[in-house]
Amino acid sequence: MTTISLTINGRPQGPVAIRDDLTMNDFLREVLGMTGTKFGCGAAQCLSCAVIIDEADGTSATMPTCIAPAVSFDGKAIRTVEGHARDGRLTPLQARFIEHFAFQCGYCTPGFLNEGQVLLERLEKAPIARADLERVVAEALDGHLCRCSGYVKYHEAVRAVILADPARYLA
Amino acid sequence: MRASRRDFVKLGMAGGIAVTLSRLGPAQAASGPQPFLGHETLPQTGLGGPISGRIDGVAKVTGAKLYASDFRASDMPGWPTRTSHALLVRAHDASHVYEGLDLARLDPAAVPDVVVTAADLARLGVTVPAFYAGDLLCPVGETPLYLGQPVALLLFAQFDAYDRARLAFREGGMLRFGRETGPLKRPNYAAYRFTRVAGATPEAPDLYAPIREGWISPGFTESSGRPIWAPLPVAEGGAYAEGARHGEAIRAELKAADPAVLTLERAFTTQSVDPMFLEPEAGLAWYEPSSKVLDIVLGVQSPFEAAESVATLLGSAQADRRPARIDAKFAYVGGGFGGRDHTPFPLYVALAALFLPSRPVRLAHDRFQQFQGGVKRHAFAMRSQIGVDRASGLIRAFAADHVLDGGGLANYSASVATVGATGAIGLYDVPKVDVTTVAEHSRGVTAGSMRGYGTLQTMTALETLIDEVAVALPLDPIELRRRNALPPGGRTMTGNPFSVSVRAPEILDKLEAHSIWRDRALHQRQARPGVLVGTGVACAAKDYGTGADCSLGAVSIDPEGRIAIHSDAVEMGNGIGTALANRVAAHLGRRADAVTVAQVDAFDALGLRSSGDPYAISQAEQDAAARDPRWVPAISSPTSASIGAQVGTHAAAEAARVVFRFGLWPAALALWAIDSGDPRARQWRDAYWQGDRLILSGLPPLPLKAIAAEAHQQGGVTGAMTHAFSRWAWAEATFGLPGEDWTADIDALAVRRGAGGFIRIDRRAVAFPPTEYNRIGTAFTSMCGTVVRVEIDRASGALTIAKAYSVLECGAVLVPQVVLGQAQGGFAMGVGYALLETLPPFEDGPGNGQWNLGRYLVARGSDLPLHDLEIEVLPPLSPREPPKGMAEVVMIPVVPALLNAIHAATGHRFQSLPVTQAMIKGVLG
Amino acid sequence: MGLAGLLAGTLASRGGRDGPSSALASPESFAGIADSRARSAATFTELGRVLTHPRCTNCHPAGDRPRQGDEARPHQPPVFRGADGHGLPALRCARCHGPANFDPVGLPGHPVWHLAPAEMAWEGRSVAAICAQITDPARNGGRSLQDLVAHIGDDSLVVWAWAPGRGRSPAPGTQKQTEALVEAWIASGAACP
Repeated sequence: MTTISLTINGRPQGPVAIRDDLTMNDFLREVLGMTGTKFGCGAAQCLSCAVIIDEADGTSATMPTCIAPAVSFDGKAIRTVEGHARDGRLTPLQARFIEHFAFQCGYCTPGFLNEGQVLLERLEKAPIARADLERVVAEALDGHLCRCSGYVKYHEAVRAVILADPARYLA
Repeated sequence: MRASRRDFVKLGMAGGIAVTLSRLGPAQAASGPQPFLGHETLPQTGLGGPISGRIDGVAKVTGAKLYASDFRASDMPGWPTRTSHALLVRAHDASHVYEGLDLARLDPAAVPDVVVTAADLARLGVTVPAFYAGDLLCPVGETPLYLGQPVALLLFAQFDAYDRARLAFREGGMLRFGRETGPLKRPNYAAYRFTRVAGATPEAPDLYAPIREGWISPGFTESSGRPIWAPLPVAEGGAYAEGARHGEAIRAELKAADPAVLTLERAFTTQSVDPMFLEPEAGLAWYEPSSKVLDIVLGVQSPFEAAESVATLLGSAQADRRPARIDAKFAYVGGGFGGRDHTPFPLYVALAALFLPSRPVRLAHDRFQQFQGGVKRHAFAMRSQIGVDRASGLIRAFAADHVLDGGGLANYSASVATVGATGAIGLYDVPKVDVTTVAEHSRGVTAGSMRGYGTLQTMTALETLIDEVAVALPLDPIELRRRNALPPGGRTMTGNPFSVSVRAPEILDKLEAHSIWRDRALHQRQARPGVLVGTGVACAAKDYGTGADCSLGAVSIDPEGRIAIHSDAVEMGNGIGTALANRVAAHLGRRADAVTVAQVDAFDALGLRSSGDPYAISQAEQDAAARDPRWVPAISSPTSASIGAQVGTHAAAEAARVVFRFGLWPAALALWAIDSGDPRARQWRDAYWQGDRLILSGLPPLPLKAIAAEAHQQGGVTGAMTHAFSRWAWAEATFGLPGEDWTADIDALAVRRGAGGFIRIDRRAVAFPPTEYNRIGTAFTSMCGTVVRVEIDRASGALTIAKAYSVLECGAVLVPQVVLGQAQGGFAMGVGYALLETLPPFEDGPGNGQWNLGRYLVARGSDLPLHDLEIEVLPPLSPREPPKGMAEVVMIPVVPALLNAIHAATGHRFQSLPVTQAMIKGVLG
Repeated sequence: MGLAGLLAGTLASRGGRDGPSSALASPESFAGIADSRARSAATFTELGRVLTHPRCTNCHPAGDRPRQGDEARPHQPPVFRGADGHGLPALRCARCHGPANFDPVGLPGHPVWHLAPAEMAWEGRSVAAICAQITDPARNGGRSLQDLVAHIGDDSLVVWAWAPGRGRSPAPGTQKQTEALVEAWIASGAACP
């Protein structure tokens, strides 16, 4: 057993004592009841369980929770699908996902949303050329599996957010 | 028993257990968990989402609790707060005697609180529903019937113990096996022969056709269990012998060496695959002995069936452990693709609760378990013969023999076999057809329903064969298809015409005109060094519906003009909630404010009764039963078979029409001050909505809110609830309503006036579709064609899809973006099936519990032409053409088009799936 | 060793690779070869059983995509080398591979999990070709022969190959035995087979 504390969607959680072999996915879903983060494969193959880790240096990355021990998140700050909308307002990415019919069953959506959000924040810091947009979006999302949509509309929705604000995301 | 797409369990409930859904009102206490229906009724207010887009959009982008796997005991009002956990242990061996669990190997911290075995189920006195016949748990001392058969259900009060045990079982070595018996033999699940001999002219009656003669099965089998297809000179089975003689004559004709006829005989095999819906099956249940209520939360495509199956299961249980009531709640589904239609999983969820009374128990597959236990697509072995007149390019005859691996339990095997067989000639007009099909038992994981449902397999074999015929004649592949395309009114293999639009020529014209096809030679010539380029085309005509499809829907409007819809259709990603809202909005001028799906018991007011099997009932029985104004052939059916658009939304749309005609229209007349004698009072069909304003030319537009308020004021119809039934045609009934007898494609109706409750209106007359329609294979079809260009790296065999185009027709499009998304998703699933996905059948396959993604490959974005996939949807033939199912057909032509493109690039015809990079490299030398 | 491990071992041996229990021949077992060049080459051939094991070749891939598991299938999800061998910006190795193996889910880990540089690709090559490569400073990361002893004997990422966690067969022998073979091979003239 190890006692951990962490920040989820800006709110402190813990200290809480957990088994060392408990996955982060089970910590979120079974211990905290935060089921917005999904369980898909348990093998880091589908990434429906990915959350955002915000590093101290200001960078962020997604990480699958199904293959990571919860204890490795001690002291970390993470964001989950439940934390994107603020003050009753959806983020532009959330809104575009809905408008573009990006998802169908929606089970992979939390992973795609987190991945897309991290990409947007990365491009804000390091804008890319318009000519690279399709490739960069495709590379960013390729780890995520979706069985319903054929992916096209997810990619369209992410690109739509970027193209709606080129000054922010494009060099 | 006649094969049917669903095995209908009669209402009335085995053992008389009532199945209900408790209505937890919205006025729940402010603290504590939200009512289940609160979660499931969308869109939720609070977060102002975009006004367009999916009804379920906001919930899905904010991580709201929505899916069955999201709910724990603490999320359920009135439940104990702690969740216990169940582990369903499955056999990885089906050739040795199962001798029990070796629980002594478990860490003491991982020991289950309760172990449920086959003996415990026998003591409880369970009744396995006929559809799932077979031991729910393999008894000690017997060889498991199939790989992945459950052997025990372990129950844990604590999550940590469950989690440790789950890992220990994944490690293996916990199940003891003894003597080798070899796999168990069982009879095949079904064998059918479909033979049709057309008359001399298209107008002439068929000389032999299943619609007239009935469906036939051979009465005899060899010692191996294989059916004997030849007509035997014995007295029994005369009907079979007659059909078989026609079939054998067709085969003899195909064998005769007629130089005017090109005859090809080819084998084709397809693999087993997993639906791979992203949410593994999960459920939550709580049995409280003091109240004798079993509460259960599930996510399935067939909610009505699941509730009835659980009731059947427990109907004859020991009195002290038999629920008096089952309260079934159905959640949004994280992908289905057929794999959640009639799955045995709910039975195990219920048993977990029964054996850990007073404690809510969760049963949830992980992905290894889902591969091990989830329903699979049938692997087919096919042999096809085709005879084509060399001069005209017309198909003279077609014969085929199909063998399906049904795996361990019957499930839908008989139905998949018949749908695959009757779809085996695709969209072609073939005067002589003879197809045999047999679905066999094996020790493999059970195969059942999955998108494409038999026709994916048989049309892939057909469309690659047609391509080969085109090359051999030679004749342009599209011209060959055009010459043989079924004309409108032409007859299918069972001898009936389709009752919906048939648009093969338009589909073929579109494919032919597309630049991918037109420029195929140019691209092949201009291939980069080391790259082989090929273009392939294929078409499919896919049935939708099952021949006994039902719809339940209710629509109500409040004095503020807010609209609520209830439906029994399931949202599994298919966009049914949004389609319901759009279809109702067309009648009521506003997208619904609340849509609740997967509700099977919100329709008590209709007081429906059913009896008989809708697929097997006689005309006399149906006529007698129909005299009861509450009788319907079936009450609720699964969301499957691409039936959502046409049937799933139908009852709600009809309810909306009633609300408009008998609630909003009279209110509008009052607001316009038009009295009943005014001719305009009868012009309700001419009124239309512009946004939320009702327009009748020459009159001031009326806002919906004002009309709704007036309707309530008048005590007019403010809510309607309907049931509809389709057996390749709608049941039609007449109801007495104020001012007008109302005849519509529904067979039951209840209405609400003002703020009152729903009251049933007995039908005055009803016409159910004749029972002889049960001999129809399908009368509903949608068509889709695909052309695809591939590039193959000569050195590595790596294939890239350079460009693709699919064109389809589906009548009225309810939600264009959903149709587009289904087509894009179907393309991706087709690519996976053609090139990536495969499960070995037996010990090396998923039944061994070692399979997961990574080893099993599904298409990712990088496998697909994300920026080079064009989808075209033909506009409906007329503004009044109803919606047609399209979710399956869009997957089918993708597979043979890819194979035909690979042939064009490499000169090699692969005759098994999937075609992997290694296989392509192998033939390139 | 659980079932998964045993299965993995079976698969590996079926594919002609070493199972989990396979030992390495000691340097002494080659003492009978009088010709030092031949002895050296034979020693390297034995060493080659380690170098061509999927624990090594999976991350010394021929292309930019690593391989995975004892079946050495292309890595899923698809990941690529990237500028520094730690993956593309969109999917870095460390996103899944933590500082240590996490056996409950069978995920391997190490603090500096990454791909060997492209010039050190071993996948699909013969032992002789790998030997030529490993002795060429242009293709071995500028290492001297003694550096190779340290790399194979001490580098903790290499060490991982003998403790790969649940579901993967370890490289043949032990790390010490392997180091001894490297030393004996160098001492006998570092000849290639």
